[in-house]
Amino acid sequence: MNAAAGAGLELRQLCREVGGRRLLDRLDLAVTPGECLALLGPSGCGKSTTLRLVAGLDAASAGRVLLDGQDLGALSPGERQVAMVFQSYALYPHLSVEGNLELGLKVRGVAAAERQRRLGAVLELLQLEELRQRRPAQLSGGQRQRVALARALLRQPRIMLLDEPMSNLDAQLREELRPELRRLLCGREQPVIYVTHDQQEAVGMADRIALLDAGRLQQVGSPRELYADPANRFVACFLGRPAINLLTIAPGRQLGLRPEHLHLAEEGPVEARLLRREWWGHQQLLWLDSRWGPLRVLCAAEAPLPAEPRLGWQRQHELWFDPLSGARLHGQGPVW
Amino acid sequence: MRLLVLLWSLGPLLWQLRTSLLRPEALVAPLLEGNPWTLANYQLVLSGDPPFWRYLGNSTLVALATTLLTLLLAVPCAYGLQQQRGLLRWGVGLGLVGAAMFPTVLLFLALLEIARRFGLANDLLALSLPYAGLSLPLAVLLLRAAFADLPTELEDAARLEGLGLGQRLRHVLLPLLGPALASTGILVFLASWNEYAIALTWISRNDLLTLPIAIARIGGGSVFTIPYGAFAAATVLGSLPLLLLVLVAQRPIVSGLTRGAVKG
Repeated sequence: MNAAAGAGLELRQLCREVGGRRLLDRLDLAVTPGECLALLGPSGCGKSTTLRLVAGLDAASAGRVLLDGQDLGALSPGERQVAMVFQSYALYPHLSVEGNLELGLKVRGVAAAERQRRLGAVLELLQLEELRQRRPAQLSGGQRQRVALARALLRQPRIMLLDEPMSNLDAQLREELRPELRRLLCGREQPVIYVTHDQQEAVGMADRIALLDAGRLQQVGSPRELYADPANRFVACFLGRPAINLLTIAPGRQLGLRPEHLHLAEEGPVEARLLRREWWGHQQLLWLDSRWGPLRVLCAAEAPLPAEPRLGWQRQHELWFDPLSGARLHGQGPVW
Repeated sequence: MRLLVLLWSLGPLLWQLRTSLLRPEALVAPLLEGNPWTLANYQLVLSGDPPFWRYLGNSTLVALATTLLTLLLAVPCAYGLQQQRGLLRWGVGLGLVGAAMFPTVLLFLALLEIARRFGLANDLLALSLPYAGLSLPLAVLLLRAAFADLPTELEDAARLEGLGLGQRLRHVLLPLLGPALASTGILVFLASWNEYAIALTWISRNDLLTLPIAIARIGGGSVFTIPYGAFAAATVLGSLPLLLLVLVAQRPIVSGLTRGAVKG
């Protein structure tokens, strides 16, 4: 993955256990400088735990966090030069925007002139100049998020961590801010870890996605890799909307077919009966019943419906899984 | 309804004020001829030896010292306790509740012995030691709850920015605890202001008495009559500083309630 060995952030066999419960189980991950990695997964999967371990806010039960080859384990959060944007933004409510941004610099002993220079630059970058005297309570959600981001950038961090930074914003604002956030964060020299439970956000923000479930890494790769070549059933089910159809067609074998890869035709191996149609603008989602159970088909809105529809798909889109373990089975031929 | 509640809580105070302004004859025979109002009670109280303001000063000194000492000790205790998890926090919390509810009366003989042994009698600042000790459990409990209400992410953010424990307390946590500190401080101040048993036993010098003792002595000074008027006048004078304190401290409390929360 990384040519210059050791550069960037590396997590090795990272574990966190609290009260006998494993929140994170032997996580191995590497993030190169300038790369944005999304930690994706359902709530409680260990993504925020990972972030806190990297930041040093919690202690790892085992494993190491390396930055450019240096072990961060013995360093306090303040010494790690890590910046984090919290889900709640964690702005100091009693300080103005300016005060919020300045506090860290003041405490670290940055001279007043230098402080003003850096503050001015970041306020301009994030278009916060007019708001510098406001208190967090007087800001909108989007403005607060920008202040939190400004505070993180002012830190001049060696690692940038974002914990669901957009989940408190409404959907439209989220979509608007995504490219701006990407422009500000990614492509700098530090590694970026972006935690989210929203696959759209992960796909939009990140170069690579690491999908976690129940404290275990399921798969890491580009969005395309995770979609086209999922390592197991969990990955296949988590990514892609509407969710994949899982069909148990023979004992010991489960077939995964994405709704967008199915089509209805006059000819095909399986007959189906239409239950319901959902209109999604330029597409429609069809709910069907077949001898394999209910399934969903996504097709163009104006696609003609055969009188006696049969299911069709291309062989390359078949994903086979072990029905018990959920593991991906490769090279399984068809049985019909 | 609101008026009724107001009357219920203010009634005794107003009655006290009225009593303090009446001539003694007017108290027992309300329909007496002539002007019943007088300031003589206040003159009597203020002209005592040592003058009444001396007692006010004594009580203020003790209460201030107590409040300061209590808060100084309670803040680190509360923070430390809040950092603990599980059984330890629960156990210490329970112990504090027990200590806060412990009847003071059972302590004062032992305290008297301590005062004698270490020569703490007749010393106003020394008097604030047992006061602070007695207020501490409740203060720690109140402040711990206040610490628990602060979002942990605020402190996390400060830690990431390199703020040490002292800096976090000074720049982030304590400013946010302003209202809790004010209300806890007032409670401690009031308890110290009104304390009787320990002050009675620790202080014997006339010029070092605290208010409750001094007021009680007004009654004890005469054998055959109870000087209701002077009593009431002393009580009114004694509560004025408290009124002032609450009025001043009310502002941070109210402004604390209306301050914006962390989330939108």
